[in-house]
Amino acid sequence: MAVSRAESVPAWQRGKVASWLVTTDHKRIGILYISTALVFFVLAGLMALVFRLQLSQANADVLSADRYNELITIHGTAMVFLVVVPLLAGFANYLVPLMIGAHDVAFPRLNALSYWLFFLGGAILMGSFFADGGAADTGWTAYPPLSTQATGNGQDLWILSLHVLTASSLAGAINFIVTIHNMRARGMTWMRMPLFVWSILLFAWLLMAILPTLSAGLTLLLLDRGVSIGPWDVQTNFFNPAEGGSPVLYQHAFWFFGHPEVYVIVLPAFGIISEVLPVFSRKPVFGYKAIAASTVAIGFFSMLVWAHHLFTVGLPISLQVFFMLASMIIAVPTGMKIFNWLATLWRGNLHFETPMLYALGFLSIFVIGGLTGIYLAAFPIDWQLHDSYFVVAHFHYTIFGGAMFAIFAGLFYWWPKMFGRLLDERLGKWQFWTLFVGFNLAFMPQHFAGLEGMPRRVYTYSNESWEGYNLASTIGSYVMGVAILLFVVNIWRARSGPRVGNDPWQADTLEWYTTSPPPPHNFDDVPYVTSARPLYDLRRKLRIERGGREPA
Amino acid sequence: MRRFSLAFAGIVLVAAIAAPSALAQFAPVTPESPNAEGIRQSYLFVSIFVAGIFVLVEGLLIAFIWKYRRRRRPRFEDGAPIHGATKLELAWTAFPVVVLFLVAAFVFIELPGIKDIPEATAGEEQLEVRVSGRQFYWQYEYPNGVIAVDTMRAPAGVPVRLEVTAPDSDVIHSWWIPPLGGKIDAIPGTVNQTWFEADTPGTYHGQCAELCGLEHANMLASVEVLSQPEFAAWLEERRAEQTAGSGELGAETWEGVCAKCHGLAGEGGIGPRIAGSLVLADPEALESLVRNGRRTMPAVGAGWTSEQVEALANYLKESPPSGS
Repeated sequence: MAVSRAESVPAWQRGKVASWLVTTDHKRIGILYISTALVFFVLAGLMALVFRLQLSQANADVLSADRYNELITIHGTAMVFLVVVPLLAGFANYLVPLMIGAHDVAFPRLNALSYWLFFLGGAILMGSFFADGGAADTGWTAYPPLSTQATGNGQDLWILSLHVLTASSLAGAINFIVTIHNMRARGMTWMRMPLFVWSILLFAWLLMAILPTLSAGLTLLLLDRGVSIGPWDVQTNFFNPAEGGSPVLYQHAFWFFGHPEVYVIVLPAFGIISEVLPVFSRKPVFGYKAIAASTVAIGFFSMLVWAHHLFTVGLPISLQVFFMLASMIIAVPTGMKIFNWLATLWRGNLHFETPMLYALGFLSIFVIGGLTGIYLAAFPIDWQLHDSYFVVAHFHYTIFGGAMFAIFAGLFYWWPKMFGRLLDERLGKWQFWTLFVGFNLAFMPQHFAGLEGMPRRVYTYSNESWEGYNLASTIGSYVMGVAILLFVVNIWRARSGPRVGNDPWQADTLEWYTTSPPPPHNFDDVPYVTSARPLYDLRRKLRIERGGREPA
Repeated sequence: MRRFSLAFAGIVLVAAIAAPSALAQFAPVTPESPNAEGIRQSYLFVSIFVAGIFVLVEGLLIAFIWKYRRRRRPRFEDGAPIHGATKLELAWTAFPVVVLFLVAAFVFIELPGIKDIPEATAGEEQLEVRVSGRQFYWQYEYPNGVIAVDTMRAPAGVPVRLEVTAPDSDVIHSWWIPPLGGKIDAIPGTVNQTWFEADTPGTYHGQCAELCGLEHANMLASVEVLSQPEFAAWLEERRAEQTAGSGELGAETWEGVCAKCHGLAGEGGIGPRIAGSLVLADPEALESLVRNGRRTMPAVGAGWTSEQVEALANYLKESPPSGS
């Protein structure tokens, strides 16, 4: 006896808003993730615009020291935990089942739980500005003893928020792993899986491996700050040197999570690029196996490099040598990817719609972030550059220039999949060029400020030779703000944009086999997968059946 | 195609030669000590490869974008299929390995000159200074017990060994004077080592490089390098003044320790106004306050010698803060 979907849903859940609140559909959850994360992106970006104003001149008087420290702390924490990771998790939610020909993820309710935990964690972090004593102000790394000595509740809420977000990410990671291992379409062997799905697999496995360490570190931090459990007041001394604890222990726990987290962010970005470049070059991706293998290699090695964040704490030289070499080894699989992407362009039929512009922008910028990493991996050079603006520039080149550019490529590329309408190309191109120029203007000069001795996380400075770099950087950040504004306008206008067909880009992967947007159950039927480009195979078969010539 | 590749190779070559000299403008600050010099040399050596790879990748990217753009081809026409490129894959896997091997090798060559404190030359003793990072000042202690705040005096041409630490009750700071070498963290409960040897007398500036609280940005440090006789005279004079409870230490302590939060004239800043406070005129109350802290004020004077407390009290008696 078949019960139609509409009848099985209670009346109160059918409303426009209610249906989104109770949804377990991976596509809707994906859209919820992406839209919530974009709101946090705007908020955390605005924080940056405020503190860039404070830094635009020497001895400026826009912000007080404590406001400044709160803003940089929440900006950094939010951009990592509330923006980039959830945006990528949103793509993963929306795309993984479609790309592997499944009807949903393995555990749809767990998936909904994971989104709502993310929402809760984000609300706690943003709400902490209104806490007694304001938000946390010890940097997104929250090193003790500074963070254990911090007064007020901001630091406690920061820990709570991260605990909730960790639970959210773990639930999501388990879901992706089970889905990818068990629910691929017939014929989709590991070597026929889209590269984006490969990257999400490693994203999920990495999160499983590293999040427990972060949770442990945060729990010890919370206990060191002191908690009341019923009638007992607990106050431990894990990181308190006066009682035999070690503040450096926390740094190990944090960075054992924190460095692989960079790859949690950047691997799915790589995955997006590996999907976009071939479609707009009209070629299969160059070196599919090499790219898949390098994804696995980067995932593995990323867990062996954390202490390059600790080169200045006085580690024995032998350890510093180990972590230098391990960090450098990651450059090899990363280089493989970059050369394979370049070779994907080679002899292609390139067209430059907005997704392609962002993918190419990603390539040109990410290379710089990778190269400056070599300086930082070489530990004696790091002794000079560590915790300076050089490092700030370096990680913005990888996380904004790398991951965010890839995310914009993905947004423009999959928007017609999600909504059946294109984002406006003209506005998109304007946005790309504004963002590209603004980004380089904002972050390139920070390398030079760092080389001239400007440390990060200072709310003011009196050295006037740093002023030019900082002013340029501030102007650049506002140009980036204009670019984001253009994107908001574009989204707004796209609600009534022209409808496009199911497959406007003539892409190769399964998500384009169904309608755009897809029905709730995704597919009426799923073709047998014969290669890593199932749709290309189908188009070719059709052409031959219709008596067309086999392409040369 | 052939002409194109030749021209391209030419551009890469020229750029690879020109870029390092351009990059030398953008290297760490002019070194004044052999360890800073070793770091700068390593930086420049790495820059050769960084510039080369940058030009190679961005050059190929631009060249491909130009050469393989669609022009008048049909929108969805396939690009040229390429099969089997194992050699190419191996080549660009091996290439970074070679580059990284060279970089690591150069670092190992430079390393002893950066980390090892040179043996003192004939007759000259190494100087050893204990550096303590504290919210929000640097305290220096010389072997003869002389204390200084924020500005360190050091003799030219003598290796100076620094023992860098922080009191147990404080937080992590990081010692960094860019012209005199890399940074090293000042961690409560740990003593780290670093060194410098400056040949040219002059004042070299730096500041704390690890977020340590509200006034992190104002935790400046400087090293004033004096000729050897000048330094010896300074050390002698300070020793005598300190015993007598007079001299510069009181003023240095006021400016370095108190004024960062309470203002140079005691007019208030992130801390309250203290000009006219009775505590400043009462040596016992003053001592108890600085040694123990109060509410959000850290115990800035925990571990001070009685000489330093006395110097501060005497300074405040002679020149009480005016309040404006």
